[in-house]
Amino acid sequence: MTSSHHLAVDIGGTFVDSVTFDRESGELAVEKASTTPADPTAGVVNAIEKLGLDLADASSFVHGTTLGINALLEREGARTGIITNEGFRDIYEIGRTNLKRDSMYDIRYNKPELLVPRRRRYGVGGRLDAKGNEVEPLDEDAVRDAARELVDEWDCEAIAVCFLHSYQNDEHERRAGEIIREEVPGVSLSLSSEITREYREYERTSTAVLDAYIKPIFDNYVEQLDDTVRDEGFDGSFFITRSGGGALTAESATTAPVHTILSGPAGGLIGASFVGDIIGRENLIAVDFGGTSMDACVIEDGAPAVEYESALEELPMMIPVFDIRTIGAGGGSIGWLDGNLLKVGPQSAGADPGPICYGHGGSEPTITDAALALGFMDPDQFLGGEMDLDADAALSGIETKLADELGQSIEEVSRGMFDVALANTVGAIREITVEKGLDPRDFTMVAYGGAGPMFVPLVARELGVGEVLVPQAPSVFSAWGMLMSDIVYDESQTYISVLEDVDHDEFERRFTELEEELTEQLSVEGFADETQSLERYVEMRYLGQEHTVSVPGQDLADLDELGERFEAKHESRYGHTMDDPPQVVHLRVRGIGETDKPTLEKATADGAGEPVGVRNAYDFAAGEMTDFDVYKRGSLAAGQTIEGPAIVFEPTTTIVFHSDQTAEVDDYGHLLIQGGV
Amino acid sequence: MAASVRAEPDAATVEVVRNYLNSAAEEMQRTLIRTAYNTIVYEILDFGISLYDADRQLIADSPGLALFLGANDYALNKLVDHVGVENMHPGDIFLLNYPYWSSTHTLDVCVVAPIYAEGEDVPQEDNELIGFAATRAHWLDLGAKDPGYVLDSTDMHQEGLIFPCTRVYKGGEPDEEILELIRFNSRLPNKVIGDLNAQIAALRTGKLRMRELHKKYGSEVVTASIEQIHDHGRQTARDAVAALPDGSWTAVDHIDGTTGDLIRIEVEVTIDGDEFHVDFTGSSDEVDEPLNIPLGMTETVCKLCFKSITTPDEVSNAGQYDPLSVYAPEGSVFNATYPAPTFTIWTAIVSVDIIYKALAQALPGHIPASSGGDLNDIMLYGEDPETGRQFVEANNDAVGWGATDERDGPNALMHITETMVRNLPMEVLENKAPILFDELSLREDSGGLGRFRGGLGLQRDYRITGPVGALSIIQKTKRPGFGLAGGEPGAKNGVVLHLNDGADERVQILVDNTDLYDDGLKWVGMFRGFFEPGEVISNRSGGGGGYGEPFERPPEAVLEDVIDGYVSVASAKGDYGVVITDDLEIDHEATEELRG
Repeated sequence: MTSSHHLAVDIGGTFVDSVTFDRESGELAVEKASTTPADPTAGVVNAIEKLGLDLADASSFVHGTTLGINALLEREGARTGIITNEGFRDIYEIGRTNLKRDSMYDIRYNKPELLVPRRRRYGVGGRLDAKGNEVEPLDEDAVRDAARELVDEWDCEAIAVCFLHSYQNDEHERRAGEIIREEVPGVSLSLSSEITREYREYERTSTAVLDAYIKPIFDNYVEQLDDTVRDEGFDGSFFITRSGGGALTAESATTAPVHTILSGPAGGLIGASFVGDIIGRENLIAVDFGGTSMDACVIEDGAPAVEYESALEELPMMIPVFDIRTIGAGGGSIGWLDGNLLKVGPQSAGADPGPICYGHGGSEPTITDAALALGFMDPDQFLGGEMDLDADAALSGIETKLADELGQSIEEVSRGMFDVALANTVGAIREITVEKGLDPRDFTMVAYGGAGPMFVPLVARELGVGEVLVPQAPSVFSAWGMLMSDIVYDESQTYISVLEDVDHDEFERRFTELEEELTEQLSVEGFADETQSLERYVEMRYLGQEHTVSVPGQDLADLDELGERFEAKHESRYGHTMDDPPQVVHLRVRGIGETDKPTLEKATADGAGEPVGVRNAYDFAAGEMTDFDVYKRGSLAAGQTIEGPAIVFEPTTTIVFHSDQTAEVDDYGHLLIQGGV
Repeated sequence: MAASVRAEPDAATVEVVRNYLNSAAEEMQRTLIRTAYNTIVYEILDFGISLYDADRQLIADSPGLALFLGANDYALNKLVDHVGVENMHPGDIFLLNYPYWSSTHTLDVCVVAPIYAEGEDVPQEDNELIGFAATRAHWLDLGAKDPGYVLDSTDMHQEGLIFPCTRVYKGGEPDEEILELIRFNSRLPNKVIGDLNAQIAALRTGKLRMRELHKKYGSEVVTASIEQIHDHGRQTARDAVAALPDGSWTAVDHIDGTTGDLIRIEVEVTIDGDEFHVDFTGSSDEVDEPLNIPLGMTETVCKLCFKSITTPDEVSNAGQYDPLSVYAPEGSVFNATYPAPTFTIWTAIVSVDIIYKALAQALPGHIPASSGGDLNDIMLYGEDPETGRQFVEANNDAVGWGATDERDGPNALMHITETMVRNLPMEVLENKAPILFDELSLREDSGGLGRFRGGLGLQRDYRITGPVGALSIIQKTKRPGFGLAGGEPGAKNGVVLHLNDGADERVQILVDNTDLYDDGLKWVGMFRGFFEPGEVISNRSGGGGGYGEPFERPPEAVLEDVIDGYVSVASAKGDYGVVITDDLEIDHEATEELRG
């Protein structure tokens, strides 16, 4: 018997999405089950069961989980202790001492609760200098005593270790790790240098703490889920998606779970890159419009943008994560008045009570209610007719809460709510494109999430983007994308040197060392040489600058060429080069193990879907209510072209485009909406 | 303006325009940070950014330092008055750092551009002026008497090259002679020109966005929208002031000065209906040391305090400051006149807590007790032994913040004037300067006593490992802050120097505090000099003030503080009346006895 199914399960705040793809038949099946926060495994199992798949038929199972981030948000992680250098136990508490931006003028600001209080932070003797040379040997007895006290005195379940300059020399951390394992073997351990080899002690400490904090919970969960699916006959590979691209085997995910902490939105980006590759679009802006938020990320030359320093709940993480810009604008975002200004969001009606039209007690007008007022949704066709929408309640809510106050019509206010939400979105996308020297007009937008296909074609018009791609099953696209994950590991090391002082052999040696670690890891996981690939990047800047630019380090003839690549990149991004000498700051390598992925089959053209009706809706191009042709997505055929204005319904989402836009159905069933600029 | 048909934008359009302007200012900021050449701009965020309409009214800003909120307002008015709007042309860019006009010290150079609707190629006569974009940023050197920072100038002419509204770009083309003049007058010409270019890049962003906005909506709609944005700001701020109690409250404090004489700061805040007035009468007259501040800076300080209690969550616009008026007599330290030295603008920083001290009488507990009250800046400079290049690195350190009527003060946060600023990682500094840190820790017992305890300050010990120049910029080391409702001030700021023999020749102590302490250590405030390997600069930042009687603090909270080492066992007993046993338990009987 062959195992021809690929399975992916994505846990979200409200739903668990499951997707399976049968490589032999080319069939895709999609299901949703409720999220079960008390016992996350149950929701995953339910979602898999609904697919009706025999797990023995699945060759791979890719999973994206919010477990780590939930443990953090709810402060339900492990009791964690810190061991660091003597005299420096407050690095973790002092941090960088700034306030978050929206608290800039807040004289009553308070810091978020620390994950590790001062009593559980120990300093031990031993010190390295900035070159990694030992200034003072590690006080091994002090490490032993600290570990014992953390466990005996403070009941710690996890210990994070971070010493100054361990990015240069990890010897003290490794030795401390050995001692801790001997002394308190049951405790879970995170060494900062095992997670990241980059400088900035607070950020590295915080990363190790986050890792330690979620590790015991994560380990249990993965073990439990693995046991459960194996009991059901699953015999394939089990992967977890990473926050910064690709996936890891479940086993390596447990060694540093911090890498999975933002794996939620990662699936959509992998999917968008994959689809882009198939249809020959390398530069994409992926836009996920859900109920409460909009997540956008740039994909350049087929690779989603990654950042190396981010924060969760004001706690920094020094690991690669997708550079996703999130704002509080979604279908559930609430319209409200602030004096004479009309605002939308960031508050959201969420799933409960939800928009007024859900009839679940929501009383504040949302974007979804406005969409109903503008005619974009059919109240009888929501969720494939599973749920009726109360259009009258939506209209009267908009009228009493907003229109009467402003002396405007319901239609005008609804359009205004769209305009305001659009302005917020456009601003956010500008930040990740224009401000990084990228012109949005060179990009295709990918629209997914429940509200994406309705909203993104409007965003595109505003930004001058000429093409919007609506993939198959846009509301579960994130789970779908997970099917397309490769296995990815990143290694990096801080190596600070002015370029002209860099010794080419040393430079090569350091890169090779990182690469060897990666190829070893991939080989252990069973990747044959031909399925492995490596990508080198060098983070560089001009001497004296703080911000770095990532320069591809592949196929360098010599270091002069590296300098030239850096200057070209700096010029294109910032509009100038400088006289100061270029400096190398970090070396990074990404190791990729290519997995066995589903392939998309071209659909055969089979007639053309005809309109099933007409709806009166607001045409943003013409600026008036007009008749939109209505189609059902399932009836559309490859090669078919639909002139806007039109609305295309599918069970869990609605695609809307306007009179200056045209949609084409491509060979894979994607909708490509063009024009509007 | 013709009183004919006025476009009345709807609420959504106004909000979209407001959004657009705010993100334009943000985008200017990010452009500046990304392209700047000096760490003081991109790490310490020592810059201010603003957009104005054609009537010079602030329409959006994005300061790096909270202290630079609306800081360009005064400078723009002086510039336009001096040059004359009729003499400005598309593509012009002006430099201004004449302190009494620019409203800050010489190194903060204002770079300002008029914005025209049709871009730079259409002559002024046919091109509508739609606004101004302004940036100020800290340049590293303009040939002042000392490199790095000037601590003891006695008049403006020791403080560097002056730009009196100098047109550095004319019709879109740089004036090479002026650029050359700058290069020849700076010790760090490449950095300075790089930062100028970064500011110009930020202006370019602002100009582009403003033009796009006008193109999209038409000038009438934009102008009418801006009017509504200002109305909204005005109304929100007036409502907030009207909700405050009426009355007048005075506060007095002193900063260290640099000559041994304290400098007096007196502030009177008056709230009358929806009007808010700040008066600095009673403060010291101008001094012969660089601690005078220009009137524009005084106004900015007041804007910061005012904003924080009226519209803290909103992006600035001119309307929000409508209820605020400020007075400082000409010739006072708060209204410096030519040629008074203004280099060390710390008077502005310290005065913020004194304004809050006056306000706290009106709103006790809502206004927290004082913070440590200073920036605790240590600057290191010298020559990198490996590359031979000159470097200047500055690190500011956090202070404890004050307690309120409902919570303890947070430990170690940047002062309210620079809340976005981050300290420099030790691993970064040890890579850049001959330094090995011995310690970075919270200072036990530095939080002000109270029912709610003040936040802790910190201690950072710089051990010198190679010859290096160093100085401190700090002005609140002699006088404590304030507690509220029976709470006490936190520990004072200060620097302890561990020096080798013969240091007197190398290190100039401007403010000596040894007599304030009885621990035998060398406590100082402002100093400057050359340091040798083995010497240690121990920077100690002040704690926040407490709120309420210390004896009313629950013994359990005191115990928690002792377990975490925030409060010593001795202080628990002596100051809080809580007796903690060797097993870290409360001795209830002894505690009750002590507390009576």
